[in-house]
Amino acid sequence: MSIAKQAAANRRNARRSSGPRSSVGKQRVSHNARRHGLSIRITADRTFGEQIEQLAREIAGGTQNELRLECARAVAAAELDLARVRQAKVALIERVMATGALDLADSEVPRQVLQSRTLAREVQAQEPAMPSAEPSRSAEAIRRALPALVKFDRYEQSARARRDRAVRQLGIVEALSIST
Amino acid sequence: MSERRTALFPRPRLLMTESREEFDQVRNNLEREIQPRGIIEQMYVQDMAYIDWEIRRLRRCKDTTISVAFRAGLERVLKRLLWRPGETQFSSNKEIEDLALRWFTDPKAKKEVSELLGKFQLDESAIEAEAIRESSHFLERLDKMLRSLEARRDRALALGIEYRVNLAHQLRESAERMTQEPTMLRLETNAGKKSA
Repeated sequence: MSIAKQAAANRRNARRSSGPRSSVGKQRVSHNARRHGLSIRITADRTFGEQIEQLAREIAGGTQNELRLECARAVAAAELDLARVRQAKVALIERVMATGALDLADSEVPRQVLQSRTLAREVQAQEPAMPSAEPSRSAEAIRRALPALVKFDRYEQSARARRDRAVRQLGIVEALSIST
Repeated sequence: MSERRTALFPRPRLLMTESREEFDQVRNNLEREIQPRGIIEQMYVQDMAYIDWEIRRLRRCKDTTISVAFRAGLERVLKRLLWRPGETQFSSNKEIEDLALRWFTDPKAKKEVSELLGKFQLDESAIEAEAIRESSHFLERLDKMLRSLEARRDRALALGIEYRVNLAHQLRESAERMTQEPTMLRLETNAGKKSA
């Protein structure tokens, strides 16, 4: 195949797979990267800056030792990250308790099914009504939210691992400052 | 935990159906047991309290799931036992569903089901097994999450202890050094005097 033909074929293929064309579709995919925002580190969010600093100073115990402060900041950031993931998990369960469903995009429904509006409606309709009484309602909400909760769990594990590592480092720095 | 320190850690968000008082009780009990010293240990206690809370939430969910599946399980067991030519005394699914519903509240229905199960050398554990089988996929995933949470809780405890032990070790070494230093200084001074 000549280069020109290949380029034309590439253009044709690209036109077929260049994402949604309707305004609703474009609006929807514009939020893909920040559906829950948990992949963005808390340190990148300026609103948490003050909170991290305050907690870090408390952890460092009023020291001016910059190394110790830096370790304390890492502990504080990871701890607040962990709290953020936990909040998201609870918010997710409550959303399912209220509406009876996850967003279809969060579910385990295959992509091909999601792309068909009729099929997507059918999938949603297949879910029976949420129980009205507790504890059945919470249990059912957890059951329906479980696939997304498992995903959130990975963020939680990552935040926890970062925090534990930072605590170990802080311990080493504290040991060094005691021995000198 | 001092109020100031509590305020520094984010207040854990609970489900609207859960009790804040009960959560505080869990945390206070852990604090009484572990007696945390310093903010890092407080952090691990708070972590353990929350993990413990999540474990309770999932265990509650597991129990409820099995209970909810019980009625459907009972219906299936009854259908399987009764839908044999010549043996059934039930004319429709409706009767089976009715018996399954009454089983929870009516002692007569319970006795009737027990006798029926007995004919096939079964007991009520057959119903429970059917309920668990039906929800086994979900229960399996739930168990996996529970095991993971339990491991995290143990790890939080271990790390809290490790931090305390390391700090105590460092403080002890430092204290020993400080008590030895004047003696060494005296020895050095005495040695200097003798050599002179």
